[in-house]
Amino acid sequence: MFPNVNDEQYYYEVYPESFRMRSPCTLMLASAAMAVSMCRPACAADHPGLAVYKEHCGRCHGDAGAGTTDVPDPLFGDLSVNQLAAYIDETMPEDDPSLVTGTAARQVAEYIHGAFYSAVARDRNRPARAELSRLTVRQYRNVVADLVASFRGRGPGVDPGRGLKAAYFRGRDFDRGKALVYEQVDPQVAFDFGVEGPDPERFEPNRFAIRWTGSIVPPETGHYEFVIRTAHSAKLVLNTAWYEPPLIDAYVKSGNETEHRGTLFLLGGRAYPLRLEFSKANQGVDNKQHELPAHASVELLWKPPHGVLETVPERCLIPHESQPVFVLNAPFPPDDKSIGYERGTSVSKDWFQAATAAASETGGYVLDHVEHLANVKRDAPDRVAKLQSFAATFAERAFRRPLSPEIRTLVIDRAFADAPDLDAGLKRSLLLVLGSPRFLFREPAGGMADPFATAARLSFGIWDSIPDEPLWQAAARQQLATPEQIRSQAERMTGDRRTQAKLRDFLLGWLRVDHGPELAKDKSLYAGFSPEVAADLRSSLLLSLDDVLGASGAPSNTDFRRLFTDDTVYLNGRLAPLYGATLPADAPFQRVRLDDGRRGGVLSHPYMMSVLSYTAATSPIHRGVFLARSVLGNVLKPPEEAVAPLAPEQHPDLTTRERVALQTSAVACQTCHTMINPLGFALEEFDAIGRHRAAEKHGATEKPVDASGSYLPREGSEATFKGARELAAYVASSRDAQEAFVQSLFHALVKQPMRAWGPDTLENLRTSFETGGFDIRRLLVDIISMAATPPKFDMAQAQAQPPELQP
Amino acid sequence: MTRFARLSRRDLLRTLGVGAGVLPFLGNLPSLAAAAGAPEKRRLVVVFSPDGVVKKNFWPAIPGPFLTPGPVRVPAELPPILQPFEPFRDRLLTLQGVHDKVGGDGDRHMRGMGCLLTGIELFPGNIQGGGETPAGWSSGLSIDQEIKSHLQARPETATRFGSLEFGVLVPNRADTWTRMVYAGPNKPVAPIDDPYQMFAKLYGQMKDRESMQSVLDELHEDLAKVAGALPAEDRRILEEHTALVRDFEQELATHKETVGHPVPVLEQGIVEQNDQMPKISRMQIELVVSSLAADFARVMTLQFTNSVGQPHMKWLGVDEGQHELSHEPNTNEAAQEKLTKINTWYAGEIAHLVKRLAETPEPGGSGSLLDNTTILWTNELGEGNSHSLDDIPWVMIGNGLGFQMGRALQFPGVPHNRLHLSLAHAMGHTSLVRFGNPDYCGDGPLTGLA
Repeated sequence: MFPNVNDEQYYYEVYPESFRMRSPCTLMLASAAMAVSMCRPACAADHPGLAVYKEHCGRCHGDAGAGTTDVPDPLFGDLSVNQLAAYIDETMPEDDPSLVTGTAARQVAEYIHGAFYSAVARDRNRPARAELSRLTVRQYRNVVADLVASFRGRGPGVDPGRGLKAAYFRGRDFDRGKALVYEQVDPQVAFDFGVEGPDPERFEPNRFAIRWTGSIVPPETGHYEFVIRTAHSAKLVLNTAWYEPPLIDAYVKSGNETEHRGTLFLLGGRAYPLRLEFSKANQGVDNKQHELPAHASVELLWKPPHGVLETVPERCLIPHESQPVFVLNAPFPPDDKSIGYERGTSVSKDWFQAATAAASETGGYVLDHVEHLANVKRDAPDRVAKLQSFAATFAERAFRRPLSPEIRTLVIDRAFADAPDLDAGLKRSLLLVLGSPRFLFREPAGGMADPFATAARLSFGIWDSIPDEPLWQAAARQQLATPEQIRSQAERMTGDRRTQAKLRDFLLGWLRVDHGPELAKDKSLYAGFSPEVAADLRSSLLLSLDDVLGASGAPSNTDFRRLFTDDTVYLNGRLAPLYGATLPADAPFQRVRLDDGRRGGVLSHPYMMSVLSYTAATSPIHRGVFLARSVLGNVLKPPEEAVAPLAPEQHPDLTTRERVALQTSAVACQTCHTMINPLGFALEEFDAIGRHRAAEKHGATEKPVDASGSYLPREGSEATFKGARELAAYVASSRDAQEAFVQSLFHALVKQPMRAWGPDTLENLRTSFETGGFDIRRLLVDIISMAATPPKFDMAQAQAQPPELQP
Repeated sequence: MTRFARLSRRDLLRTLGVGAGVLPFLGNLPSLAAAAGAPEKRRLVVVFSPDGVVKKNFWPAIPGPFLTPGPVRVPAELPPILQPFEPFRDRLLTLQGVHDKVGGDGDRHMRGMGCLLTGIELFPGNIQGGGETPAGWSSGLSIDQEIKSHLQARPETATRFGSLEFGVLVPNRADTWTRMVYAGPNKPVAPIDDPYQMFAKLYGQMKDRESMQSVLDELHEDLAKVAGALPAEDRRILEEHTALVRDFEQELATHKETVGHPVPVLEQGIVEQNDQMPKISRMQIELVVSSLAADFARVMTLQFTNSVGQPHMKWLGVDEGQHELSHEPNTNEAAQEKLTKINTWYAGEIAHLVKRLAETPEPGGSGSLLDNTTILWTNELGEGNSHSLDDIPWVMIGNGLGFQMGRALQFPGVPHNRLHLSLAHAMGHTSLVRFGNPDYCGDGPLTGLA
């Protein structure tokens, strides 16, 4: 029996390194929010050593070991707790070492070590600041894509239309003037025309052609394998101009080959132009002699990063052609995510090499497309001026600010000056710009207060990318000075596809499923749970998230509570029978109210329930850890030692709940599991694939499921609930959950410690979240508007520095 | 062993004027020992031109050494189309009577192209030719790719690319008429007909390194400026970054990869169009030569246009397209003359390649590249107007395969699969007993070549 999630990773991935305690202590449960934003474990105040310290030590060492006139040196060092205890026992207080000995010495040693003495404690107590950071991988890819895109026309905005535009031609060619029969929007490309063709009245059965155009919007970032399935002539042009080589060229039908493949790396949430041509007829010389009646079908499929081969679904197609996107292929090492969010506060050789390769690739792409991007012909008389002006615009967009004469000389004039030819000059300039710290690093000096820095904070916060033209113009016209001006830009920017992509990535991270965990279930128990079902479940979750984010086109309020209160689940024809719903076998995804309203939004979503289960049995511990940490924002210490789960077959008479209680009954376990288990137990009414169950099978017998649970919040009294519905209702109104969500979103957007903006930041944002009706989009605007100005701490720093870091 | 026309140890000593008496003393001379023991490089460059030839102006009148008929035999003039090879006549070998006997689907131009190097039928498909049944891609790989796989599987013959596929004005469409090289059944390989693209493939990394190197001074200046304005807490990460730039700079300096030959300088701004064909041809030829000198690959193809190729060689005073001319009957003298001119132009380009190979020393060895390289010039048809697949043109120049050169060979209509076996064996792939359709491999490699 293996867990679906890697236990080791699961336990450690969100655990902040700096809060890991060495000795067993009472600090095991602390609020993550408190710990991160207030920088001091709440329970330090309750430590029995504090009283001892106040009574015997504070008079010389001062509050929190800060020192006094008698003993001016601050109290810190590198003794361990044991060493410190022995030292205090023997020598302290100096005037009467007998006053603090034994247990008291031990207690005070523990207290001061954890509160301010040790290096870890001092680091924790250091005021947080926004640090100079390199671009994260996500930011780098977005920035170069948008840099190139800024020289192309605008693509379609967020568009409610779905499907592809289809033009049907008589004959084998795509002659709009002479042979176009009709145009329509096809939801997807999966047609079986039989032998007679689409319409024998209007087309010869053996001679017709169809061209589909539009854009494809992949939900997630990764490698997509595309497949054209047909026994006739077809071509797929994707993310390139129509005259560039197609991704799949199946113009020639040869032998029994009916599947043609091509793979592309794509960034999720962006629109890529697509053109698919299909022609049923012999190609080459125009001669019908050998065209015999033949069956014709055509299908466009893909295998997304965490999915299975499927028809490219309507929801990922839009009937407007967008501009090609430059998608960087150079691989990067993953970013540091040890404190719960991606950040770029360290550099490494691997990263540097990747960034160098990325600069080269980006420069190569720009040069390959320079005629179009710089709008200059190869033999144009003003080519020199145009290329230099292009390079200068590229540089200022990359640096997120206008070029000073000095920088212009460095990255433009000198790059072009001694290059052997113009192309080489441009290449040098691009490499210089993409290698510059002005491009690679963000917020030097912790932040500046000028409008271009504000614009960059806005665009990186909302999109992980560079400012767009309206934002740039606002900065140039000094229209980012007031909070209202900043807010109105932020609001405008939330309407962009990239905001949705970022929010969706954030929610997947908040749900801890961004890595696309492998899902496999015990075949004897869950016969219907195929890889296709697993992929559909992930799609279903993504659709729910899109609804909450208002990404599905329909205007919606992006209410945080809907994440928990929604009692419907997206199902399609394949999922429906497995979850007790009735839909036609080929039904597309649609909302279905399941289990008499017993569902609690994402908390009981079948995908989450499946991920947070073993292959055969549920895992209340995984579910409870997820709720305690991610949803309710508690810091949980990793288990003292790895504990193998008790095998169900050894305890055939116990329910899962009883078995887990038995397994975690040791005192050492209880400190955390008193919180974890009652949370996880509330979801016991959903089995290992997330189907509702009233009873749990034990061989021949059945025992009713006990889904009662409880939670003791950081403030207030214990809450009790029974089942997912009540749990979700509690979470939706829980202050702990709100704090955790606000803090997670802040870190995902800003990628700097929240407490750098002051100790009240969390509570201010949470209050505003509450008064704003828990609107996620509004919270995003709140966060970004606040973080668009540098934190006060850094303001002081910045003022001590030359005012213009980047002249 | 003089099978391969390299200088043997004995030849070398003879040319040095060293007598047999001193021979035993020379055994330890490193250069000679190396020359004697170094594995022979064998290289094959297949050049394609389209639409058949004017047979009477292409094939030597009689087999054997290029001599006049009659009792007194003196060196004969080469046929008009082969005249550009005059300076290399003793390195020239023509093979007449080697037919493409592969049948099946597809018109002659399609089969001529798709079966030329594969020796096996086309799959049935949807490409309708100018007659006969429609067809798809070849059902087997081509001999150059077969040889490439063999060479790449062995460390002593493996090269960076294994094979390189050059083209000159190959139309921008993938079909049975434009693809000659196959990596496997249904796996056509597109030739690169843009010299700049080929240059980037060959030298792009090196050029990128050079570009990076050229901006390092400015980069350091920039880093110093930014670091100088940072608070101390933030300077650390930038200092680490600067150290990485410095490491990179040092690596560039110490591991500076030399390609061991002058990198060709291409004229900039040549666009792919009919009138630029002569320039593109020369650019690609320079890249072939430099790639051979750099040992980037030992198997190459150079495909001029495509099967049914239709260049308009206005620079020869021929305004009509080649394919159109090739349909004219043999009685149309004007057309025959023009086609002869066209084919002589191809020969001239190949002769230029031969000359460049002859004047380029073999790196790390003796002699020239031509001593270890054989060029094989061929065509999808034997003759344009009859669309005959008999007497496919096969002309070899150079000494890379150890064949006995300087003569015309006449075969009694043997299938060309056997020639492919000969090529493979001469390139060291001696375990290959069948290639393409086994029915056409009957008696194994052609005899009488070596």
